[in-house]
Amino acid sequence: MTLANILLVAKREMLEILKLKSFWLTLLILPAALALGPLLGSNLENHEPTRVSVVDRSGGDSGKALEARFQFDETQYLLRELSDYVQRFGLQKADPDAPWSAHDRWYTPADAAAFEASGGIDGALSKIEAVRPEGTPRFEIPQHEYTFLVPPSALLAAQGKAFEQTARTLFANDPEDKNPEIIVLIPNDFPADLGIKVFANDDVPRRFVAKLQEVLTIDLRTRLLAESGVTGARAALVQNITPTIAIDTPPPGGGASETLMVRSIVPLALAYILLMSLMLSGSWMLQGSVEERSNKLIESLLACISPEELMYGKLLGSMSVGLMMISVWAGCAGIAAFATHGAISDMIRPALEPISSPGIIAAIIFFFVAGYIGVSAIFVAIGSMVDSMNEAQGYMMPVLLLIMLPILFLLQAILAENDGVIVQVLTWVPLWTPFAVLARLGLGIETWELVGAGTLLAVAIAAELILVARLFRESLLATGQKPTFAKLLQRLRAPPKVEN
Amino acid sequence: MFVLETHNLVKRFDALLAVDDLSFSVAPGEIFGFLGGNGAGKTTTLRMVLDIVRPTSGSISLLGSAPSRRTAASIGFLPEERGLYAGMSAIETIVYFGRLKGMDKALAKSRGLDLLERFDLRDRAKSRISDLSKGMAQKVQLATALVNEPEILMLDEPFSGLDPVNQGLLENEIRRASDRGAAVIFSTHVMQHAERLCDRLLLLKKGRKRFEGTLKEARAQLPTRLTAISRFDLSSLPGVAEGQSSPTEDPEWREWSLKLEPGVDPSQVLEHCSTNGIALRHWDLLQANLHEVFVQLVGAEDIKP
Repeated sequence: MTLANILLVAKREMLEILKLKSFWLTLLILPAALALGPLLGSNLENHEPTRVSVVDRSGGDSGKALEARFQFDETQYLLRELSDYVQRFGLQKADPDAPWSAHDRWYTPADAAAFEASGGIDGALSKIEAVRPEGTPRFEIPQHEYTFLVPPSALLAAQGKAFEQTARTLFANDPEDKNPEIIVLIPNDFPADLGIKVFANDDVPRRFVAKLQEVLTIDLRTRLLAESGVTGARAALVQNITPTIAIDTPPPGGGASETLMVRSIVPLALAYILLMSLMLSGSWMLQGSVEERSNKLIESLLACISPEELMYGKLLGSMSVGLMMISVWAGCAGIAAFATHGAISDMIRPALEPISSPGIIAAIIFFFVAGYIGVSAIFVAIGSMVDSMNEAQGYMMPVLLLIMLPILFLLQAILAENDGVIVQVLTWVPLWTPFAVLARLGLGIETWELVGAGTLLAVAIAAELILVARLFRESLLATGQKPTFAKLLQRLRAPPKVEN
Repeated sequence: MFVLETHNLVKRFDALLAVDDLSFSVAPGEIFGFLGGNGAGKTTTLRMVLDIVRPTSGSISLLGSAPSRRTAASIGFLPEERGLYAGMSAIETIVYFGRLKGMDKALAKSRGLDLLERFDLRDRAKSRISDLSKGMAQKVQLATALVNEPEILMLDEPFSGLDPVNQGLLENEIRRASDRGAAVIFSTHVMQHAERLCDRLLLLKKGRKRFEGTLKEARAQLPTRLTAISRFDLSSLPGVAEGQSSPTEDPEWREWSLKLEPGVDPSQVLEHCSTNGIALRHWDLLQANLHEVFVQLVGAEDIKP
């Protein structure tokens, strides 16, 4: 067996695959989807805040309370985002005492009030801007979810059924998108009349309704407490008292705040990409093998090179194409990480942490390559036995299901942080070992398991290659014959020695 | 000195005995014909010589060693079932096969272009195989066998499927290879090609050798037939196995159809006639052709009663 011949066959296989339109489509489809996805998503997403009007005919402060509550929630969200940003880029020195410099708390109405009192977002950003190093991205202010409008006069004047008609007219005749999209009507006799009405030109978000109900419930209870002799201030205290919740998490991009799932993103992606590229390059290689058999090329080739050289050349060609695809995808991911000013790389840093030691990197390379050889050899074996792609499909389907189904269970189990029996079994069955080990790297895998499963896999692949080489040699020239199971077993046996 | 020798070669496929105790040898520059019907074992023997299938028993010496890919650089092979990569160009195909035989890329390309020139395909060098006619693709495949100027050229049923023009081209290439000292081994069941080209022949039937030798020796396998016109009874001459006569226009003279005993030279019979004063008006030697030899040695037993 000579390396030169193996490389020649591998190069030809690669060039043949590179000529396929399907290869280029597949290669570009993932980066295109990654690039277009956020663009489409951002275009499809409605960034305009939903316009809300509250018509409070009860004479109380329910309308104002509702608006204040929504305002607080948005401020709280803004503070959390700002705090994450400040901590990610180490900008606490802009104002160490500001609530957004603290990352260890759940923001209360008092924090929100202090924030607004000290100039709100504009005040905070001017302080941050003074210390922001060059190259650090600016903070992007999140859009308001709701904006409260003064109810149109026609609405205020309308009574009874006319109110609903007026509301509908406002919804229907709104060419400039200025009318309210949600109208809340609090009746005259509230709280005696509990019939709050919400009119909307579309589905009302559940969170909106829940918040509306919560605010009005507090109002109702305050009124009931007042009737029971509890003073207004005391009643408000009872309603609004909340514990201060301290939160201890690593900084953004630094660890467990993104949970174990983040740690498993890269390992799971490795397992998934291995599966994807195997399926693709394997089927292209199969197409090439079928061409060789159906075009009666095999005999000419075997007069020049050994079946083993042909087989290893095909394996190497297929693996090179697969690794090339993965490199392109990884390159695109790198560009995406760079283009997002490190936000993605911050996110995946905890994911890279469990797989960043030299030993684990070596293990990843080993299991990746071993997975490629192990599964590609099955495709080579199929390719040596079939004369058409139709015939190949008959073998491919059961093989693909056998490989893929347990891997789907495996990925789900890893996402659920479950390394139970299924994951253990799949780790030790050579067909699934590469996928299981790669996927488990995020959760952590014992060294003895890594070495043991790797050794078993290497032995299994060596045995597989010997058997596939025999099958390959014996099947190549047997065109037009559908091998029976007994015939397959016969081909897998060692050839008898030649008697001289 | 032989470039190819086989000794007691046997190949079994399960219960089928494909090649049975076959021994033969081929010398450099010799054109050696492998003749036999379907299933005679021609292709299996060539595949064993090429190490594509392994013999059950027996030995093969190819250029002085056991068959292996180490000798690929000295071998040219054209299989019976022919095909090429549809997506590759003519010259890419020739270079690819040349390189698989250990050739340098530049040399393979230059020889490939020369061959395409000779085959009148120079202007189609960059055409994809799928864009060539069947005849053109066959020429490209022949070029893949010749690109390394092999010491042994093996052609399995090379004339099947070729039009008369390409058959002539192939015959020229076989002679050209032989002239430069290469041994050419080709299998065929078309006797005219073997008769025209072969220095020596091997006749196979059901895997077993029925004959190996020159064309003359092959013809000698059949009894010689003569026709002669004489007033005497020629059937009683020494060396004549059978004789039948028929009348001629002259009632005194009869036309004899004679079958000689095996190994008897017709000139001996002629000499006997002249020595003994046996007058002859006509003397014609009917030499057996290869087809008759083939039918006698191989085909006759295949003929169903």
